[in-house]
Amino acid sequence: MRSDPVQPERLAGTGPVQPEAGAVAPAMSGAYISVREVSKVYGRGRDRVEAVHRASFDVPKGQFVAILGPSGCGKSTLLMMCAGLEHVSSGRIAIGPRTVDGPSRDIGIMFQDPTLLPWKTALQNVLFPIHIMGLRKAEHAERAGDLLRLVGLAGFEDKKPHQLSGGMRQRVAICRALISDPDILLMDEPFSALDAISRDEMNVLLLDIWQRYSKTGLFVTHSIREAVLLADRVLVMRRRPAAVVEDIMIPFERPRRPELGDTREFVELCAMLRRHIESQT
Amino acid sequence: MTIRADGSRPASVVEAVALPVLTGLAVFALWQFGTSSFGVSEVLLPPPTAIAARFRDLLPTLLVHTGATAGEIALASGVALGGGAILAGLLTLSPGLYGALMPTIVLFQIIPKIALAPLFVFWLGIGSPSRLVFAIFLSFFPVLVSTAAGLQLAGSEAVRLCRSLGATRWQILRDVRIPSAAEHFFSGAKVTVTLAVIGVIASEFISAKQGLGYFILLASSRADTSAVFAALTMLCIIGLGFYLCVLAAERAVLRALYG
Repeated sequence: MRSDPVQPERLAGTGPVQPEAGAVAPAMSGAYISVREVSKVYGRGRDRVEAVHRASFDVPKGQFVAILGPSGCGKSTLLMMCAGLEHVSSGRIAIGPRTVDGPSRDIGIMFQDPTLLPWKTALQNVLFPIHIMGLRKAEHAERAGDLLRLVGLAGFEDKKPHQLSGGMRQRVAICRALISDPDILLMDEPFSALDAISRDEMNVLLLDIWQRYSKTGLFVTHSIREAVLLADRVLVMRRRPAAVVEDIMIPFERPRRPELGDTREFVELCAMLRRHIESQT
Repeated sequence: MTIRADGSRPASVVEAVALPVLTGLAVFALWQFGTSSFGVSEVLLPPPTAIAARFRDLLPTLLVHTGATAGEIALASGVALGGGAILAGLLTLSPGLYGALMPTIVLFQIIPKIALAPLFVFWLGIGSPSRLVFAIFLSFFPVLVSTAAGLQLAGSEAVRLCRSLGATRWQILRDVRIPSAAEHFFSGAKVTVTLAVIGVIASEFISAKQGLGYFILLASSRADTSAVFAALTMLCIIGLGFYLCVLAAERAVLRALYG
């Protein structure tokens, strides 16, 4: 894993992302996250619910995969199993050679709720994983400050969550997911609670972060546009049985700009995906 | 002074201060004129002015007794608060312990514990230890239960975040559960401190050579009603003092956490 120093002079903010000279496409070398015949069953007998039904897919290193589906299709459950926060009922999830059987430090997670600790400042919240992992805070404080600057929160380091807007809180949560420099970023509908404008801003920010730190990513969403804009590849899930039914590559080059969303190719791809989803239900 | 449940302050100073003060004054005025105009015997119910005069005269004596009583209340509430909070932490760390102890502790609350006061004299003698242990026994429950509830209620999302970081149960307790239980602890602490006052006074009725409870018992045996009321006034001041201490601690802690 390459550990990129953050370049604080470039603010992500809300403006369009400038393509970086010499930016290379992430290396794609075989399966990094491997999901094999994974099912998740809750309850027994008459209460038995199959939240995920025999899902299988591979994610190569450096790829950003969106898992798209209606609410209740088990996409979040699948993500939590990848994170090691839920046990699989059957099948196997592996990251590299290691079978996932619990949380791992190689993984950064963003939840639907920013889940900031209300008594900690923005900076302390970003450093929380370092604190829990027992690493030296002094060594990471600078990186935390750089990350906060990168997401446009310079000057907000000492603010507590109730002094920040919803979008700002989710930016802090991004920094927290990145602070320990994990290989993998798992995101569970991280922007779904935001208003449309903040959500667009966060998408731009995430595109920029992706360009900067080639991570491997799984991003759960129910927004077709968001999936197509952000991901290299979209997995479509459906309900009853909750299964992965489509696997579609997104052909747009990186770095991507938000204006991509206005192009005909983009709109057509979204329409095609919508038809796929509708035909499944 | 008061902060409402939703964190807002009362609309105006009039509402917050003037209203309760006026109500209090009205009660005292009614009391004063009622006792004098109906010729109520001072032995039955002395008027507020007589109590005030008696309070002034007895102040040196009362202060000696106050020292003894307040000291025991402070010690008993301190142990009850600390012990209750620590026990709540242990119960949260160990679900097994919770299952084993909590039903018993709750069942114990059904006993009117004040009725056990004589037993404590029997077990621990007539000295200070018996009064302290009884007051602790009487008062620890509210802080234990509300702290335990606060520790358990800590945001499940924050706990999930901690688990994703590989946090130990102890780390989750220290970094998430304890700070989020602060408000619950203090709402229990207010009740606990009030109960500790009751516990100490009740024990002093049974076994003591000094203290306000002892003084009240002695004064009523002599039908010295105004002295009883003077001691009651002092008790109110002590009770209010302890309550305000908890309130001040609560404000300081919550300001440090969320300010």
